Amino acid sequence: MKKSALCFGILSLCFTLLSFALRPLPEEDKSIKNFKLKSTENKMVSLSDYKNAKGFIIVFTCNKCPMAKLYSERLNLMSLKFRTQGVYLLAVNSMDTVAYKEESFKLMQKKVLKEKTTFPYLQDKKQVVAKQFKAINTPQAFVIWKNKSGKWVQKYEGVIDDSALEPKKGNNYLEKAVDELLQNKPVSNPITESVGCRIFYRGVFDKMR
Amino acid sequence: MKSKKIFIISALFLLATNSSFSQTYTSLNIPEAYYGVTGTDGVTNFVLNMDENLKQYRTGQATVTGAVNIGTATTNTFWGPTMIINKDQAIKMHVTNNLNESSTIHWHGMHLPAIMDGGPHQIIAAGALWEPYWTVKNQAATLWYHPHLHTTTQAQVTKGVGGFIIVKDAAEAALALPRTYGIDDIPLAITSRRFLSTTNAMSATLSDNYGDYVMVNGTLSTTTNYAQATLPKQVVRMRILNGEIQRGYNLGFSDNRTFYVIGNDGGLLNAPVAVTRLAVQTGERFEILVNLSNDTVGSQTLYLKAYNSATELNALTPGSNAFGWPGNEGNASTPTGNSGPLNGGLLNNVDFNIMNIQIAAATTASTPITTIPTALISNTYWATTDVTNSRTITVGGGNGGTAFTLDGSLYSTTMTPKTVNLNAIEKWTIVNNNIFGHAFHLHDVFFKIISRSGGNIGTTIRTFEQGWKDSVWIPINGTVTFIAKFDDYSDSTWPYMYHCHALTHEDEGMMGQFTVNGTMATNENSVKTIFSLYPNPTTDKLFINLSDASTEIYYITITTLEGRVAMMLPKPQWQNGIDISSLSSGVYLLKLTDEKTKSVTTKKFIKN
Repeated sequence: MKKSALCFGILSLCFTLLSFALRPLPEEDKSIKNFKLKSTENKMVSLSDYKNAKGFIIVFTCNKCPMAKLYSERLNLMSLKFRTQGVYLLAVNSMDTVAYKEESFKLMQKKVLKEKTTFPYLQDKKQVVAKQFKAINTPQAFVIWKNKSGKWVQKYEGVIDDSALEPKKGNNYLEKAVDELLQNKPVSNPITESVGCRIFYRGVFDKMR
Repeated sequence: MKSKKIFIISALFLLATNSSFSQTYTSLNIPEAYYGVTGTDGVTNFVLNMDENLKQYRTGQATVTGAVNIGTATTNTFWGPTMIINKDQAIKMHVTNNLNESSTIHWHGMHLPAIMDGGPHQIIAAGALWEPYWTVKNQAATLWYHPHLHTTTQAQVTKGVGGFIIVKDAAEAALALPRTYGIDDIPLAITSRRFLSTTNAMSATLSDNYGDYVMVNGTLSTTTNYAQATLPKQVVRMRILNGEIQRGYNLGFSDNRTFYVIGNDGGLLNAPVAVTRLAVQTGERFEILVNLSNDTVGSQTLYLKAYNSATELNALTPGSNAFGWPGNEGNASTPTGNSGPLNGGLLNNVDFNIMNIQIAAATTASTPITTIPTALISNTYWATTDVTNSRTITVGGGNGGTAFTLDGSLYSTTMTPKTVNLNAIEKWTIVNNNIFGHAFHLHDVFFKIISRSGGNIGTTIRTFEQGWKDSVWIPINGTVTFIAKFDDYSDSTWPYMYHCHALTHEDEGMMGQFTVNGTMATNENSVKTIFSLYPNPTTDKLFINLSDASTEIYYITITTLEGRVAMMLPKPQWQNGIDISSLSSGVYLLKLTDEKTKSVTTKKFIKN
């Protein structure tokens, strides 16, 4: 009896030590915390609302940027394609509404009506979500995926595709990343360089690129 | 049967050899002419909207560009319209900044009040509308407009924000010169760009300030696909602007033909100057005539060319290939070992074609000019005997990659400006005992170069730079002296600038400022200006009721409650009401600056 108790004790100690050893280093754990933002429907939307979600496509976009404007149709189609597979597209506007009157909530609502948007368009007025993702451009896309411990981990960041002016002609990096994740494959291009208008963070001096 | 075989074989042979020589071209973009809209008050209004846009320059990502007036009628993807105005015309600009950051628009070469100049002090916040106005005093010349915000001028100009201004006058109109815009009179904004491989963005960093690919009026011009101007078989006028960040051009034609310089930065010369090579530095404009009367209709063999190789530059001025003559920094295969750009450009230290010229039939709609005139206009230039004051400006810095300076200081908008007296005729000597050559530019007025010394130019004032100038090249160890009269406008508050027009140098601080002071005494009393606004709320016009009828309004700024600048109105003509119809509904603050005391008083109003 004593022997088995000792074994058990040693085993549990081993397991504890092992779990500490296998615990991922903080830098590798690029997980995204749940956030809650207001949508153009005047509803609060958070990641936790989507109970069965496998992953999310978060696209930082805005009303004014010419590059961002080109992607409305492509994002509509992408949202429809993936939501039946448990992956939801959320658009986030983190532009400074004080500096840029075109980024007002009213004009966000107008845009959704005009473009028959098939996904929530959320306002990140305090730029908190943009800072969490470290978003720099509009448009810029991120894919977060639920890992085994139930955390949302970043799997892709960068462009939607590399042919803004010519849809279907270039590489659809974002769509490919989500397809690969749905097939339990690793993402072949997890990081691509985004292009578009800068997101200027209030109180942070930064030169135009 | 045998002859048929020979025929087929020779046909195939001809086809094969011909197809290996096919060169493609893209039609040169000519910016649209913009004459403005003249109101019943006789003021001609120009609307300039600065925006970001996109252009498919290379395969892959579209390039994010900057442009002026991308609206529905004209969809500029790079650069902006050519404003065409007359001397003595009263004009008013309505400039809206839709870029995602602050900017300014400087009217390069315009003689106007400092408060309208659009230099680093007239910052247009994102989304704001700026409405400067003035009466054109300039003589006929080719000027240009571009951003001038301190530390980000290079970035914004690289994006493509800018455009030409053509001033016309009676003296120029009386001459037998080509002037059918877009046909025998074309503007050429020549520059180059480096594209980042991942995003196709046009790079605007220190190591990328010499582009790899030529761009003319926003049209990319490469060895596989040249920009092509179709020009008629007659005398053609070209208004050339070096819109580079740093590179100079040693211009000529591919067949070394003689061409004629007829204009400098500030206007026409007294007579055409025959040249086969023309050295053009950043910011400079030259008007030239080239005679295409003897060329063959349909031919595509002629190119406008930059003879920038060391051999050519040496032929121009011995010792030109010394480091510091832009164009001699290392090329792509041999990055320079000096402290120059880290990545030499594809166009550095080589001769390269700028654009192809295709010859078309002579014009019939307008009478073609077929000869070069022998005389132009009568300029009266300043001489040493006119000088009332002299000053010297010394170039410094640059060693070990440090920033270049003027008079030992780096620019700051709050630095104490030099003071020039109104109507002073000043002699300025710029001393460049420095490791680099610089393109010195002066705001407000034009100058006459009266002497040069040192460096690889020595004492020769080149034949093509003897007219009115606002920019002058000073080689390494060179000195330049010029004379200018600072007339018409005085303002002890807001300064004009002088600076090197190599935009990297300018952004890093190679700039100074000066005010032109008149005899007006300023009242030191800073009592608030008493006024009221009516009607309030208002829909389209806001009127100002001043308690003291002698109050003069220097500036009105309209901001939102959160502090976003919506409108900037320098010296507004407020008597007929301020047009605020473009504002969206809401509560605004009107900040009024008194002309005499410069005190600011704020009042709230509501726009319905």
